[in-house]
Amino acid sequence: MKKNTHNAFLFDAFRCIDCRACMVACSVENKIPMDKTRIWVAGVGLKGEFPSLERASMVYHCMHCNAPDCLSACPVGAYSQRPDGPVVYDPKKCIGCRYCMNACPFGVPHFDYDKGLIDGAFIDKCTLCTQRIDIGLEPACVATCPTDALTFGERSDLLKQAHGRIQAHPDRYVDHVYGETENGGTSYLILSQVPFGELGLPALPSRPVKEVSEEVMGFTIPFALGLGTVLTAVAAGVHLYNQKKEADTLKLETSEPQTEETI
Amino acid sequence: MKLQITLHPRLHLKPLVVILLSLMGIAFVIAMLRYANGIGAVSNLSNSYPWAFWISFDLFTGVAISSGAFLMAAVVYIFELKEFRPLVRPSVLTGFLGYMMVVIALLVDLGHPERIWYMMIHWNHTSVLLEIGICVMSYLAVLAIEFAPVVFEGLKWQKFAHFIHRFIMPFVILGVVLSTLHQSSLGSLLLIQPTKLYPLWWTPILPILFFISAVTIGLSMIILESSLSSRYFHRGLEIHLLEKLARVIPVVLAIYLVIKFSQLTIAGDLKYLFTGGLMSVLFLAEILIGAVIPIFLFSIKRIRQSAKGLLLGAVVLLLGMILNRFNVSWFAVQHPDPLSYMPAFMSNVHYLPSLPEVLVSMGIFSAGILAFGLAVKYLPVFEHEEEGRKTTS
Repeated sequence: MKKNTHNAFLFDAFRCIDCRACMVACSVENKIPMDKTRIWVAGVGLKGEFPSLERASMVYHCMHCNAPDCLSACPVGAYSQRPDGPVVYDPKKCIGCRYCMNACPFGVPHFDYDKGLIDGAFIDKCTLCTQRIDIGLEPACVATCPTDALTFGERSDLLKQAHGRIQAHPDRYVDHVYGETENGGTSYLILSQVPFGELGLPALPSRPVKEVSEEVMGFTIPFALGLGTVLTAVAAGVHLYNQKKEADTLKLETSEPQTEETI
Repeated sequence: MKLQITLHPRLHLKPLVVILLSLMGIAFVIAMLRYANGIGAVSNLSNSYPWAFWISFDLFTGVAISSGAFLMAAVVYIFELKEFRPLVRPSVLTGFLGYMMVVIALLVDLGHPERIWYMMIHWNHTSVLLEIGICVMSYLAVLAIEFAPVVFEGLKWQKFAHFIHRFIMPFVILGVVLSTLHQSSLGSLLLIQPTKLYPLWWTPILPILFFISAVTIGLSMIILESSLSSRYFHRGLEIHLLEKLARVIPVVLAIYLVIKFSQLTIAGDLKYLFTGGLMSVLFLAEILIGAVIPIFLFSIKRIRQSAKGLLLGAVVLLLGMILNRFNVSWFAVQHPDPLSYMPAFMSNVHYLPSLPEVLVSMGIFSAGILAFGLAVKYLPVFEHEEEGRKTTS
C-alpha cells in the first residue's frame, strides 16, 4: 500500500451529473445527519434556450488549503494540518467563537446552531476521510462517485491529469485548474466548463489570505515592548521635570518673598 | 429623572431602575433559553452570518466605548496633567463595566462559554482573536486594580487604598499598552477576510485606523458620561475640562481623515466612493457623521463651551463611529450569494437580528448602567472633584 505525500481530490464539473450520491456516502461514512452534511452540491441552474440547454453543478467541501486560514484564525489551536494534506478540527479544544467561519474564504466550517450546552455545539467540516485514507481507502465521496467526477490521489499526479484533460479537450474546459494556486494552493482541485465564479468559487490571489493578518500579528510583541519602554521613559521624564519645576518655584518663593506681589 | 434606590422602609424604585431591571430579567431568560436550546433558538445567526449583531454591538462597540479609561489614566498618571484627575475615576469605572459587559455578552455568544478560559492555556500565536482575548482578560484585571482604591476608600480602608495607589504606575503603563494593542487589533480581526470585507474598509492599516478612532470615541464617551451623570446625580459639570478634551477631537479626527483618504487613494479604491450603492452610502455616512460634522462642531468655541454643545458633538461622533464599527464587522462583510440550491444548513443567507438577540444586548447594557449608578451612589467615584478644582485654581 503506497501512501500519498500530499493527498488531494480532483473534481471535474464536466463529469458531474448532480446525483448527490457523494452527499449520502459522506453522511453514512461520517455518521452526519443529511441536513448537516460536510459535502454539498450546488448548481447554477439551467442556461440557454431549448434545445441547447446547459447546466453545471459543483461539489463543495473543505478545500484543505495548503495555507489554511481557519487554522491561522483559531485562537485556541483547534485546527491542525497533517503533513499529508488534511486540515482537521479538534472539538475538544473549540470554544465556539466561530472566527474560523469568518476566516474561511470558501465558507466551509459550519456550526451547530441547534445544540445547547448539554449536547455541545461544535464546528463541523470535511476531514478528507482520514480514517479511510489511513488504511488505504479513497474518501467516501470519491469511492461512491459513479462518473469519476471526483478522483483522489497524489496532488502532483492529479494536477498533471487535470492539465492533460484540458489539453485533450481545450474546447471543453476553462484553461485553469482552480486550487492549483488559489490561496497558496489547495488540496481540492477543480476543472470546469463554465467560469469558476459561476460555480460560486471566489477569485483568490495566490498569496494566502492569512498572510497580511499574520504579518500584522508578528508586530505585536515588539510593539508592546517598545510602547511599554517609551511610556515608562515618558512617565519618568515628565515626573522629573515636574519635580524640578516645583523645586525651582519653591526656591524662588522662599528667596524672594516679594515676587508674588510684583506679579 | 433621578436615580434613587431606597431599600428602607419599603422597596422603592424609580421608573428608570424598573425598566433597567426588567430588561436584565428578560435578557437572563433569553440567555437561559440559548443555553438550553442553542444559539439558533434565540438568534438569527447562521452559517452565512456567524458574527453579526452581538459581535458588532457587544464586542466592537463595547470595547470602543470603554477606551476613555486608558486615555484618562495616561493623561493624568503618565503625562501628569493633574487637572484632569476628576475625570479618571468615572472613566475607569466606565471602562471596567464596559469590559465586564463585553465578557458577559461573550458568555452568551460563545458556543462553549464554559471553555472561555482555554484562551489562557491553548495559544495559537497567529490568531488575532487570541491576542484580543488575552488583552481583554488582562486589562480587566488592570482596571480592577485601578478602581480598587475607590472601593477601599468607600469601605474606609484608607491603608489599602494608599498601598495600591503607591504602586499604580506599572499598572497604568500596562493598561495603556494592553489597550493600544487590543483597540487596534479589533481592526486586525478583519484582515483575514480581504475577499469578504468591502474594499472601502479592508486595508492592512485597519489596526491604525481603529486605534485613532478609538481615541475619539473614548474622549466623546467621557464627555457623554460626564454630561449624563451630572444631570442624573445633580452634580457640577467640569465644562472647563471637557472643553479641553473637545479641543483635541478635531485634530485627531483630521489625522484620521487624512490617513483614511490617503489609503483609499493609494489603494486606488476612491472609485468605490460613489459606485458601491449601499456600501458607498454607509461609508459616506460614517465619515460624515463620525468625522466631518464633529470636526465642525468641536471647532466652534461657543459649542465647546456649552454643556448642550458638548453633548451634541459627542453624541454625533459616537453615532458615526459606532456605525463604522457595525460597517466593518457586519454591514460591509459580503456573503456568498446562494446558488440555485443549497442544503438547509447553508440557507439563511439573509440576516436581520432577531428581537431576543437585541434584547440580550439591551439587558447586558442595562446591567452596566445600573452598576454605574450603584457605584456612583455608594462609592467616592466623583469624590476627587473638589480636590481637582483646588489644584486648577
